[in-house]
Amino acid sequence: MALSAIPIFYVFDMNITQQIVNAIWLGGVYSLFALGYALVFSVLGVLNLAHSAVFMWGAFIGLVAVTQLNISVWLAIPLAMLGAGIISVLLDIVAFAPLRRRNAPRMSQLISSIGASILLVNFAQLVFGTQPRRFALGSIPTEPFAGWPVRVTPIQIIILLVSVILMALLQYLVMRRRVGQAMRAVAFNQQVASLLGVNVGGIFRLTFFLAGALAGAAGVLYGLAYNTMTPFMGDAVALKGLTVIVLGGLGNIQGAVVGGFVVAALEVFSIAAGSSNYREAIVFTLLFFILLFRPQGLVGQATQTRA
Amino acid sequence: MEFLRGIGITEIVLQFMLINAILGLSIYLVLYTGMFSLANAGFMAIGAYVGVILSQTYDLPLGIALIGGMVAAGLIALPIGLPVLRLRDIYLAIATIGFGEVIRILILNFDDLASSITGQAVRLTRGALGITGIPKVTETWHLVLFLLVVIYVLMRLHRSRFGRAMAAVRQDEQAAATMGINIVYVKSVVFILSAVLAAGAGVLKAYLTRTISPGDYGFDQAVSILTFAVLGGTSTWVGPIIGGFVLSALPEMLREFKQYRGIVNGSILLLVIVYLPGGLVNPAAWRRLWQRGSGGEVEPVAQGSAK
Amino acid sequence: MIERRYFCHLYRYALNFMVANPVPLCNEREFKMKRNVMALISVLIVFVLAFSTTLAQDSEQPLVGSWDECPTPENLPETVTIGAVFGLSEAVAVYGTSQKQAVELAVEEINTSGYLGASTLQVIFEDSAGNRDQAIAAMTKLVEEDNVLAVIGPTLSAEAFAADPIAQENGTVVMGVSNTAIGLTDMGDYVFRDSLPEAAVIPGTIAQARETLGLTKVGLLYGNDDDFTVSGYEVFKQTLQDSVIEILGEETFAKGDVDFNAQLTNLIGANPDALVVSALAAEATQIILQARSLGYTGPIIGGNGFNSPAVLKDTGAASEGLIVGGAWNYGNPNPSESSVRFVELYEARYEDQSPDQFAAQAYTGAWLTATAIRCGNFAADADVATQRTALRDALAAIKDFDSPLGVFSFDENRNPIHDPIAQIVSEGKFKPLAVVLGAQATPEATPAS
Repeated sequence: MALSAIPIFYVFDMNITQQIVNAIWLGGVYSLFALGYALVFSVLGVLNLAHSAVFMWGAFIGLVAVTQLNISVWLAIPLAMLGAGIISVLLDIVAFAPLRRRNAPRMSQLISSIGASILLVNFAQLVFGTQPRRFALGSIPTEPFAGWPVRVTPIQIIILLVSVILMALLQYLVMRRRVGQAMRAVAFNQQVASLLGVNVGGIFRLTFFLAGALAGAAGVLYGLAYNTMTPFMGDAVALKGLTVIVLGGLGNIQGAVVGGFVVAALEVFSIAAGSSNYREAIVFTLLFFILLFRPQGLVGQATQTRA
Repeated sequence: MEFLRGIGITEIVLQFMLINAILGLSIYLVLYTGMFSLANAGFMAIGAYVGVILSQTYDLPLGIALIGGMVAAGLIALPIGLPVLRLRDIYLAIATIGFGEVIRILILNFDDLASSITGQAVRLTRGALGITGIPKVTETWHLVLFLLVVIYVLMRLHRSRFGRAMAAVRQDEQAAATMGINIVYVKSVVFILSAVLAAGAGVLKAYLTRTISPGDYGFDQAVSILTFAVLGGTSTWVGPIIGGFVLSALPEMLREFKQYRGIVNGSILLLVIVYLPGGLVNPAAWRRLWQRGSGGEVEPVAQGSAK
Repeated sequence: MIERRYFCHLYRYALNFMVANPVPLCNEREFKMKRNVMALISVLIVFVLAFSTTLAQDSEQPLVGSWDECPTPENLPETVTIGAVFGLSEAVAVYGTSQKQAVELAVEEINTSGYLGASTLQVIFEDSAGNRDQAIAAMTKLVEEDNVLAVIGPTLSAEAFAADPIAQENGTVVMGVSNTAIGLTDMGDYVFRDSLPEAAVIPGTIAQARETLGLTKVGLLYGNDDDFTVSGYEVFKQTLQDSVIEILGEETFAKGDVDFNAQLTNLIGANPDALVVSALAAEATQIILQARSLGYTGPIIGGNGFNSPAVLKDTGAASEGLIVGGAWNYGNPNPSESSVRFVELYEARYEDQSPDQFAAQAYTGAWLTATAIRCGNFAADADVATQRTALRDALAAIKDFDSPLGVFSFDENRNPIHDPIAQIVSEGKFKPLAVVLGAQATPEATPAS
């Protein structure tokens, strides 16, 4: 009511206003998922295709914490972050570290992350089964706020808030703290960083832990937002996450956030414009052209190919 | 033959192995030239659809369909390749993923799009339902012959001037350019060759599985084609063939493991990538292993050779 | 020892009736003592026998099956092996797992009830992972290596189009239990299905909804990259056009999507009388919840995909006004006896899980196959080809088969014939559409959430 009194909202079709809300909300979800993806890429320069599997494990850890251990949803988030962080570190130890030590091509690391992803998903299938799992109905506030000109639910606001807080925390850690400085140094050049006394191995572990924790948080929040969890839930976001981090500039953390909102806006507004059939084609075409005309991505830096 | 059937490799599995070997070789060509492309699932789709639609509409034999599909993929690869191949490394990979997805979505919506342009109902690709009822024409000997021809051409290529140029481009683009190699030309030709090869495999496979739909040529397929080559090893042309063989036979051989099949499959992939640098077929690594195993002197530089 | 003495007593005791001179009993003293015991044992034996037969009648005779039409077969092979190709890993496992569970349940029941006489039904399950190549390989393995007599599956129509020809070429029955695509059984005379195609379900639902709700304009939402949802969409669209209902807008989503807000905002903005949705169960829940949270209160009409117990449970009050057409529904208010029994058995066997339409159809498919084996009554020493043909012919002849899906027959094209259901969710329960809306008979009858 209050908002529609403002002229700018008044001239908009009600639908468009709602679509803007939809886009912001979806953008928050995409950004949150892409954040950890971007972090690993920025520090290690590899695409971790098992990130979506860690994300799925985060969601299930949260679910088990809430439904089996009767922990409140808000305590389940840090628990899932911790669990997913540990899984992510294990992932590094098993699938990435041996290759890194050997200086294997990045392609090998990509493939080994696929192997790890297959393992994690199949393991989850054995443990949790294949039927969609859900938080009990009513445990999540999904009733839209009354009296608003657009439909917004409390859980949407909460998830958006948590996402923003996590993004801000990560940004603070990477840009303002000493550890973040070390991470950036490693990202820039491992050997130089090592000469400067940075514990490169430790930074890698920390990066994987943080990325995993973010994936875990994204998993639980995603689970709360859409309330349907299967071992295969990561499939749908894996490719989308990739698009997001490329559009935002590979390996750029603010870029991942920007990219999330760009992809969401593109999708929502191509639907609003009446071409839902082509919304993914539109996103990928844009991705294609951004890569062509800005080969380093929107804000990314060129990386050297290894011989 | 009896033995093969006993371990789960029936004739149809053998045929899939041969097709995947061809696909492995198609991606080997681009990798050998230092390009990290994931476009081949898209070219496979183009080949399969063009070949099948051509032969179904005009009632043509497999041979013509094969050539038609391959030519179509080559024609599309040319304008795509020229701009895209300026990209390097992961950026090229992502741009080609974008290309593949756009192809998939266009095939999915082709009838819709064509109908709205021409103003009359078009039924060619039949959307998500795909084309069914394709006769099973592909025989094992077709595939063996095709593979042998490809191997022959590859062996000739490696020994030719152009083949040396390919290796030079992979090792150092700048040095190659200084030596008078036209990098854009070499890369484009290789990209087109690779596309043509993938399209050929696509046509042959369509006539084996009797049905095609856009979902078969998505991101997953692109990544599995890459996996054939990387798991097999890209130092010689034998690698991708072995990789294609092993990865297509493995899921069938592991059927005894029932619900643990995925876990075993993922573990094997992970173990090979992590512990066999350079893939299954890597003469240097096997030689080292042999020397170590036969009690010979362990080369002190063995560790560093990958760098 | 005791037995021997017992028979001795019995023998001589009987002899005493027949001969004039009494034969001394085995051991007079012992006999006298044991006589009471013997009597007691006899009584007990009789009692136990009687009781166990009543028990058997009570719990072991399932309500499914052609018990009277065909005699219990006597010369079947000791074990009859059939195959099943389901998607048991990857995303398709959501459906494949409940299919496998239902088939296992049916097979246990078939074997314990002696439906196939002395012979045992055995099923080899193969995973296709929702992947066409693997479905082909699995079908080849079952038909050519394991020499099974029939195959149930595969889960997806796309897999069926690739794998069923292999069964057809080998003269082996393949029974689709979830394939709804058009033209599936045209692949040959060995290709059967018990899954009602959308074309048999949707027109009835729409006709009833139009009559009772007075639909004139609707919004259409469907998944455009899945053959199941696209088939549903095509039938919906055709039916809507035929019944002169205006389609205000069409929106699509992709497999794996969970956010439908943008599409729904568009459709709801056009102010439709109803939302018509072709989606799978996983998406159905999200679509209902998000449509309601965007403020839509009208009816939502869904196809087969909405026919899952999970949908009602997971959407709660939001499902009020949901109209479903389908082959079978967990919440059917007046189910057949065999349907009730199936639900009870399934829930007892698999804790915390309720059967969905996929399970009901797979369960029925297993029973149909077993019935074809019982009625085919082929000899153990016949060759595989003869056995397979006998099975096919018996299957095609099945008429008025009482199953959880209702009274079931195959038409001449081996497609299923049984009554589909059209229901509406009212006060948290599935109720027959005609009854609920017929009584209220006003378009705004659907309660708001």
